[in-house]
Amino acid sequence: MEALGLRDDLNDKSAVAAQNSLQLIAFSIGDQTYGVEITTVREIRAWNGATPLPNTREFVRGVINLRGTIVPIFDLRARFGDGQTSPTKNHVVVVMSVGDKWVGILVDAVSDILTVSRDDIHNVPEGNSIDSELLNGIVTHDSRMVGLIDLHAVVSGAKMDA
Amino acid sequence: MSDLDDFKATYFDECSELLTELEEQFVAIEAGERDADRLNAVFRAIHSIKGGAGAFGFSALVGFAHAYETLLDYVRDGRIELADEVVTLCIRANDIVADHVAAARTGDALPADYGMDEKARFDALARGEAPADDDGEGPDEFDIEFTPVMVSLDSDVEEAEYDIAFDLAELDDTFEIVPMAIDHGQWEVRFTPHRALYARANDPLLLFRELGALGEMSVKAVLNPIPPLSDFEPFDVYCSWEISLVSPTLTEAMIREVFEFVDGDCDIVIVQAGAAVVPAPAPAVEAAPVAPAAPEEAAVSDLLALADDEVAHLLDFTPEPKPAPVSAQDSFEEPPGLSFAELAESLKPATPVQPAAKAKPVALAPAAAESSGEEGERRAVGVQSIRVDLDKVDRVVNMVGELVITQSMLTQQMDETLRARYTELVRGLEVLAQTTRGLQDSVMAIRAQPVKSVFSRMPRLVRELGLKTGKKIKLETIGENTEIDKTVIEQLSDPLTHMIRNSADHGIESPENRLAMGKPETGTIRLSAEQAGGNILIIVEDDGAGINRERVLGLAREKGIVAPDITPTDEQIDQLIFAPGFSTAEALSDISGRGVGMDVVLSNIKKIGGSVHVRSWTGRGCRMTLRLPLTLAVLDVMLVKVGVSPYVVPLSSIVETIQCSRAAFERVPSGGQVLQVRGEYVQVIDLAERFDMETETEADNRFVVLCEAEGSAKVALIVDDIIGQQQVVIKSLEENFERVEGIAGGTILGDGNVALIVDVQGLKTTIVHKNAA
Repeated sequence: MEALGLRDDLNDKSAVAAQNSLQLIAFSIGDQTYGVEITTVREIRAWNGATPLPNTREFVRGVINLRGTIVPIFDLRARFGDGQTSPTKNHVVVVMSVGDKWVGILVDAVSDILTVSRDDIHNVPEGNSIDSELLNGIVTHDSRMVGLIDLHAVVSGAKMDA
Repeated sequence: MSDLDDFKATYFDECSELLTELEEQFVAIEAGERDADRLNAVFRAIHSIKGGAGAFGFSALVGFAHAYETLLDYVRDGRIELADEVVTLCIRANDIVADHVAAARTGDALPADYGMDEKARFDALARGEAPADDDGEGPDEFDIEFTPVMVSLDSDVEEAEYDIAFDLAELDDTFEIVPMAIDHGQWEVRFTPHRALYARANDPLLLFRELGALGEMSVKAVLNPIPPLSDFEPFDVYCSWEISLVSPTLTEAMIREVFEFVDGDCDIVIVQAGAAVVPAPAPAVEAAPVAPAAPEEAAVSDLLALADDEVAHLLDFTPEPKPAPVSAQDSFEEPPGLSFAELAESLKPATPVQPAAKAKPVALAPAAAESSGEEGERRAVGVQSIRVDLDKVDRVVNMVGELVITQSMLTQQMDETLRARYTELVRGLEVLAQTTRGLQDSVMAIRAQPVKSVFSRMPRLVRELGLKTGKKIKLETIGENTEIDKTVIEQLSDPLTHMIRNSADHGIESPENRLAMGKPETGTIRLSAEQAGGNILIIVEDDGAGINRERVLGLAREKGIVAPDITPTDEQIDQLIFAPGFSTAEALSDISGRGVGMDVVLSNIKKIGGSVHVRSWTGRGCRMTLRLPLTLAVLDVMLVKVGVSPYVVPLSSIVETIQCSRAAFERVPSGGQVLQVRGEYVQVIDLAERFDMETETEADNRFVVLCEAEGSAKVALIVDDIIGQQQVVIKSLEENFERVEGIAGGTILGDGNVALIVDVQGLKTTIVHKNAA
């Protein structure tokens, strides 16, 4: 009986997990870890320079050629207000789709693929406007804090005057 | 089932092409080109639409198309004069056919009486001179759909010529003869199938059934060539048939039509027994003496009744005596499905023997191919096209783009030592470069199309609008050959239609009002296209009343689009006409005024990355400008360097380049610089400064690129270096990002990096704004 009960329990859990879990691509900026939902990620490529765009904010690093399409690259560090990244060949661009657009996010490194439960997502503490503006929520994974990036917010406000 | 769906899809594709063709023809017909070629093209189009519709059982469409076709037929043989009102009726009929096609495609049902008025008018027109005709014929009788066509006694050669719709290239496979002659008559058909006919799973029995529906039929199987069993080759064809058909309304063309699907897979000899012997090269159509107009209705039902009997006969497979004189058949050796060589060969000995007094020999279309009178036919023959999914084209475009980049990368890898050592490799790479370039050009040409294809639909619209509104309107089109990407063109049709409707409905005043205001009675709508830098401008202008700002604002307030406490500027009011749900029409007409027009324009144009600007002069007119991206269009550019980044300037806007050390700069009080060029002072824009880039190039080593902006205003751009000229493909920045001030788009260079295209006009405008502010 006990064994059966245990099994039922497990089954329930995994069913819930399938419905309720979220797979994230985690990447790092400095010591911080951030994540985006894996389904939005199109590809990951090494930093290979970008053509700077004039009249845009500092976090717009420019545009790259992605197999014939021009894709803008956003510097996530700069977006968080920590100054521009000085990218090397080891830096990584995560290409994602936001709505019907493709954008690239420049990060220091891609670290992991995480599975978290939606129930474990915490609200972003009020206080700093940049945090609540750019993050959808926070999850804990292996006792690390992972900020969930709000892609729409990250790519908005790119124009100088905006 | 899915096969049938495929066929249907193809049919609808064809229909839309045919409908476009119809429009084109009628534009010309309206302009006064009422020649036989045009009429024939129209007839063919309607006939093809009807044919397919019959096959898929779209009975409403068949019924209407049939009535229309009958009218066209009468017009063709001169019974009905192609007067203006007939043209108008035909154009209306085209729309109805289009509606029927659209309904059939979506599966929607049109009102049962849809198009009945027009149909009644066809019948009335037809009856006016040919009381015998009756188009009450239901679509169910489609199997025997051909209305026997009356040919007047004085039908001339010209008329006969166009009845031979010949495709030189397809001579082996198909030819089409429009039904023409009527004779009381007995026809003898010798049908000798080839192996291929059976190989293609055709069944002669079906053909006989169809033939049986045409008239009283007797069939005799010719069995004597069957060898003894020892020599019998099971896959060979030994059997042929001799068929005799009697019907007063039968024409050769009708018989040929039965065999249309097996054409080329069998030998068919058709002889009118006891009458004319048609010259051997079969495609010639005889213009036989005209029978008194036969009461078609009666004939049709007779035929139907007869058909059953005859089919029964046939199934019994009783060989019957063949009443036709053998001599007539003997002179008849050549099958109709000739190759061109055979045809030419057979032309030599064959002299027309025409006992019938009025019958006329007819020139063969291929033989007459050099004659210029056949232009219409050849247009139909020469332009061959295939339908390709746009996605497939896009894939090719992208891959060619990659290829070009790879190719130039390879070329850059060749340094001097390699060049010296591997001459063959170098030569190969040069050829590769050329070929790639050619490939790229060809691929781009597939996508770019002149705006003509959209513009050509507009004259009719304007004419129709004029009729409906009682206004006199003429349309001028300029720059029809401006090429735009196909996707953009496709998105252009709806907005343009709405804009022109708007101009005709709201802009142009009634003739009386115009005269009262001292304007010419006829209002003008001008539609123009031009390339301006990285954009295409499509401008719709009218010389009407302009936007009634008071009423627009009043309505906008009423509908809550504008808050009561806000007073917009004139320009803002003008833009209000694009607000969703906005309509100023006092009476809802079926032309415009449902309030869904202009916001559709805006959303459609925005969707393709364009913008709409409207400018109105009260009492003088209104101008709407569509600024469209030139995506994928190839641009000749000069590659320059600003800071460390490559930029390209459209070559078309460059007047000259000057080294800064030789340029004559002057200061103006604002602190800015102007450049003196041949006595002219030109505004200077330092791109590095403008784009906020750091430059390490010494001032004297930089270059001035003198550009011509819109109109003749010039602007001098200062760049750090000039790298060279090349052709680039414009890529949109907006696709994944947004519009950037001063940048018209991006392009991908040979090394795979992105270069930005300088928007000369945009740069100049922003400067003006800054000064104004």
